[in-house]
Amino acid sequence: MASFVPTSEETLDDLRHYTEDRLVEVACLDCLARVRVKKNSDHQTSVQWTAEARSDCQEFVRRDQRPGGRDVHKPCARLMASIDDAVRAGDVPVGAYDGY
Amino acid sequence: MTETRMLDQGTTPIRFARGWHCLGLASDFADGKPHAVPGFGGKLVVWQDSEGELNALDGYCRHMGGDLTQGEVKGDTIACPFHDWRWGGDGKCKAIPYARRVPLRARTQRYETTVRNGQLLVWHDPEGSAADHDILPPELPDVMTDKYTPWSWHTKEINGSHCRELIDNVADMAHFYYVHFAFPTSFRNIFDGHTATQFMESKGRPDTSGAGYGDENSTLKSVATYYGPAYMINWLEVDYKGFVTEVILINCHIPTGPETFTLQYGISVRKPEGLDDKTCAYIAERYTESFGEGFLQDVAIWENKVAVQNPLLCEEDGPVYQLRRWYEQFYVDVADVKPEMVDRFEFEVDTTKANEYWHAEVAENLAKRASAEASASADA
Ligand code: FES
Ligand SMILES: [Fe+2]
Repeated sequence: MASFVPTSEETLDDLRHYTEDRLVEVACLDCLARVRVKKNSDHQTSVQWTAEARSDCQEFVRRDQRPGGRDVHKPCARLMASIDDAVRAGDVPVGAYDGY
Repeated sequence: MTETRMLDQGTTPIRFARGWHCLGLASDFADGKPHAVPGFGGKLVVWQDSEGELNALDGYCRHMGGDLTQGEVKGDTIACPFHDWRWGGDGKCKAIPYARRVPLRARTQRYETTVRNGQLLVWHDPEGSAADHDILPPELPDVMTDKYTPWSWHTKEINGSHCRELIDNVADMAHFYYVHFAFPTSFRNIFDGHTATQFMESKGRPDTSGAGYGDENSTLKSVATYYGPAYMINWLEVDYKGFVTEVILINCHIPTGPETFTLQYGISVRKPEGLDDKTCAYIAERYTESFGEGFLQDVAIWENKVAVQNPLLCEEDGPVYQLRRWYEQFYVDVADVKPEMVDRFEFEVDTTKANEYWHAEVAENLAKRASAEASASADA
């Protein structure tokens, strides 16, 4: 059943643009996780995980065994470091030439 | 070529979200009387049975449509004011005092209930699935003990907007400056499975005497997680002139119609060491007022805006599209939940440029204010 239904085709293009464009694959240097990354600037980062990558990340596996609370949603430091490496290596373009 | 961008207002869903919804403090329902709670396009009746269990049924009797919320609790059942049919918390009609027997199929809609952190939660699913206890919000250690102030709980009806407007706040960095009068200095979102989290650090603006986030003497560290579509726990560390207070804010809602919902929020404050209960209660009330005003700031915007299916974003904006993609999972059948709706997604907003502009603007406002005051006192 459809829920929030856009009334124009362009909205679907926007959706694709904002959620899929410019994502570049980055592999974690410490585990098997592969994610897709986009950077609009040095301090902006988007990280798109898949279920497979999510279950490959040992940090998350460990955390999921702990009871819920305020810290369980934080990023994985190893993956973030791997992304920084990839950025330094020039594998992830930095900049929002299309405005977002 | 001019290309004017049109607002796509979309059409709002005719269904209500699947998941746990909080109806209020459990203790408020525990008086042996039936309670009416508007929700999911109708009305629920809530009452406590002799075992102390809280029950929730559709508010209208399946006999001739009597209003059960105006009935009476008799034994463990809720009795209809119209012809006294007795309904149990399991949804079955237990007795009809004037009838030889209860007809087959005498079963009404029930909502599974549970109490978490002193609040009554009900499971709602248009597909009628059994409640999923694995995705309940976590228990808050020490809350409801004498380490924290008791919940200060408030309810507000919102008319003219879909509850997704409230959810959009999770990814909305810039509105904290304009609507809530704070500089968001750090802002990050993580959506994962049924949860959506906002990490924010902010500092109040000195040019406004704003409530909630807007006091210039306070800096705030905030972690706010939605557990499902309608229940958020916000852990706040408020540093007020070096005095740090831990505040827990619950922000939850029940959709009541396609464009109406009931907002509820509750506040519990970790009692600072060495303060007596009266002072702690006072502090809790101040925070409750202040965050309550914060909600009103949002409400004023919602009441006047239109729905937008295709927001136009700039670099400093949070991931509204991904947030809505996450939110969508609660509005489709379980079989139609797509991987991207639940896949983990992380987003950090670059707040540096925005804060540069904002600090300049605030400095200008303060300068204007100072010169206005100076000329006013020169005139005097
Ligand atoms: S309508 Fe409820 S008992 Fe008749
Ligand atoms: Fe807000």
